[in-house]
Amino acid sequence: MSILSVTGAEKRYGSINALAGTSFEVEAGEFYCLLGPSAAGKTTTLRAIAGLETLDAGRVVFDGQDMTGQPVQGRDMAMVFQTFALYPHLTARQNLEYPLREAGHDAGEIRQRVGEIGELLRIAHTLDRKPSTMSGGEQQRLAIGRALIRRPKLLLLDEPLTNLDAKLRHDTRAEFKRLHRELGMTIVFATPDQLEALTMGERIAVINEGWIVQIGTPRELYAAPADRFVGTLVGAPTMNLLPAAGSDGKVALPFGEIGNGPWSKTLADFPAETELLFGFRPHDIRLAGPEAGPALRVDAKVHLTEPLGDITVLDLEAGDAVFKMVLPEEEAVQYRVGDRVAVEINPDKTLLFARDTGAAIR
Amino acid sequence: MAWQSKQREIGTAGWGWAIFAGIIAFIYFFPVLWIILTAFKTNADILAVPPKFFFTPTLENFVSVFSRSYIKGQAAVDTGFDRFFFNSIFIAGTSVLLALVIGTLAAYGFSRYPLPGNDTYLFIILTTRMLPPIIVIIPIFIMFRIAGLSGTYPGIILLYTAFNLPFTIWMMKSFFDELSPDVEDAARLDGSSEKRLFFKVCFPQIIAGLAATAVFGLILTWNEFIFALLLTGVETRTVPVAMAQTIGGDIGVRWGLLAAIETLFLIPVIIVVFVLQKHLLRGVTFGTIKR
Ligand SMILES: Nc1ncnc2c1ncn2[C@@H]1O[C@H](COP(=O)(O)OP(=O)(O)O)[C@@H](O)[C@H]1O
Ligand SMILES: [Mg+2]
Repeated sequence: MSILSVTGAEKRYGSINALAGTSFEVEAGEFYCLLGPSAAGKTTTLRAIAGLETLDAGRVVFDGQDMTGQPVQGRDMAMVFQTFALYPHLTARQNLEYPLREAGHDAGEIRQRVGEIGELLRIAHTLDRKPSTMSGGEQQRLAIGRALIRRPKLLLLDEPLTNLDAKLRHDTRAEFKRLHRELGMTIVFATPDQLEALTMGERIAVINEGWIVQIGTPRELYAAPADRFVGTLVGAPTMNLLPAAGSDGKVALPFGEIGNGPWSKTLADFPAETELLFGFRPHDIRLAGPEAGPALRVDAKVHLTEPLGDITVLDLEAGDAVFKMVLPEEEAVQYRVGDRVAVEINPDKTLLFARDTGAAIR
Repeated sequence: MAWQSKQREIGTAGWGWAIFAGIIAFIYFFPVLWIILTAFKTNADILAVPPKFFFTPTLENFVSVFSRSYIKGQAAVDTGFDRFFFNSIFIAGTSVLLALVIGTLAAYGFSRYPLPGNDTYLFIILTTRMLPPIIVIIPIFIMFRIAGLSGTYPGIILLYTAFNLPFTIWMMKSFFDELSPDVEDAARLDGSSEKRLFFKVCFPQIIAGLAATAVFGLILTWNEFIFALLLTGVETRTVPVAMAQTIGGDIGVRWGLLAAIETLFLIPVIIVVFVLQKHLLRGVTFGTIKR
């Protein structure tokens, strides 16, 4: 059963449409990601759920109750702000105590819960310090602690990792998964980082310009993006996109023709010379083997190499097109800029988009 | 390593600069020092040429602040200065406190619940302080006469409160504007009502600003002369007015007496600034350091 549903949410700020009819449902206990670039409407969505923003149209139903127009106070949900929004005049301990005091818990209960949260989030040693004297990671854990201490049914997280350094971000991703598993609460997690969404989200709603573009599991978004926006947003390095023309279920590329893709049947019904965008992921390109297979073989020239430690990204040039491929470091060392390399593009994993609308053709 | 180099810079500010700063500070402070010295001198020492830096101090001037004989040979009588000091403290304290209470609430409103034309209202509030006092004093004098407020405590306190309000509102609004609205939203989510939110989350964050505003207001009110001259009576007279009336008399200007009054007059200001100095620095630099 869905614990939270947002239906047709609209919010305008002057001429800006922050939300333009956003709808999605979150299941109880789910780790739900809202993935979208900056200014997509993630914060506005979370704030609308929390009641901090009044919607121009649409409804928010939480736990079977219509929340539209209800006060912020007393909702069984907590939010971690992108800025952390800790109480600067209070110590870490008092920050944790604040929501419990407002809810009228007795002193013994408060002491016990603060102790528990301090342990859980490993901030017990900082409890008597003010937020301004704590490190970024400690502040973030304190903000999460303050949200968790009330044991809310729903936890809203607004880019909680964006203000942390890379190493800390990596560790904290694992931490979030652990917390979610241990506490079993419903989490809505807003992030502009596809990696965070893919690694943590059980389901992901991709949001752009106030619209939900696609909802799916990480695998679904990666393998079958609804449009070019999702296709290029999800996956790193970014998917290769080449302008192409389609006829008779086949696609003409600058370096050859490819057929037998998952899109072939649909494409067969399209008029000849339909303008397309051909997408294929850098991870799905192989070095060509000795015998010819069903894959499209491309003779390319190395244009640029970008070693990233265990993998290397090669920029290849074929026809007048440039595209990226990913190779394990030990296979990539043999290639220098200007070398010739033969690669194969397996049609099974390629994607096709209409050039005008960007919609996927499947 | 950044903090190390920073610390070294502070450490090596150098004796040269320290002495230079000391000299400047001495020049600025010299008139005050001279007044304090004068207050402890006999009339002969005060008028001595060249001026004396070393002399036998006397408390005679301080005694005559509170009681002295007005005509040579007569017994000393009470001058009423204890009353005037009380008036100054009471009137300045009350009006600044009132302005802080009203102004802080108004500023919170202007900052958090802006009206259409918010800036216009703020500007209009400020314009009340743009006119020189001399221009508004006649209408105010007449209004006070008609309302029966002339010479009363409520009258002068109301006037000084109104006097302090524009400045207080503008100062406090800038402090509220600096606070993160997310923190308030967090408190709402934590279950705080709007009222508790103000008192438990916003208010504690602007105490430094409040202290700075209070000091500026107090100094302004403490030294105010023209309105006090026209709108206070014998009962409600403040020190600046009384001081002016002390100048003159049958034996010319009594510099020692004036210096003693001024020295006493300085003490409350120094105490207030000293007590609030920790907040004052933070309050004055509030907003200049972006977080
Ligand atoms: N209070 C506001 N006033 C005006 N515009 C706003 C306000 N809040 C958000 N917006 C606009 O709404 C859009 C969506 O913002 P937001 O929800 O914060 O995006 P995100 O969190 O995905 O970066 C942006 O274009 C932003 O500029
Ligand atoms: Mg945001």
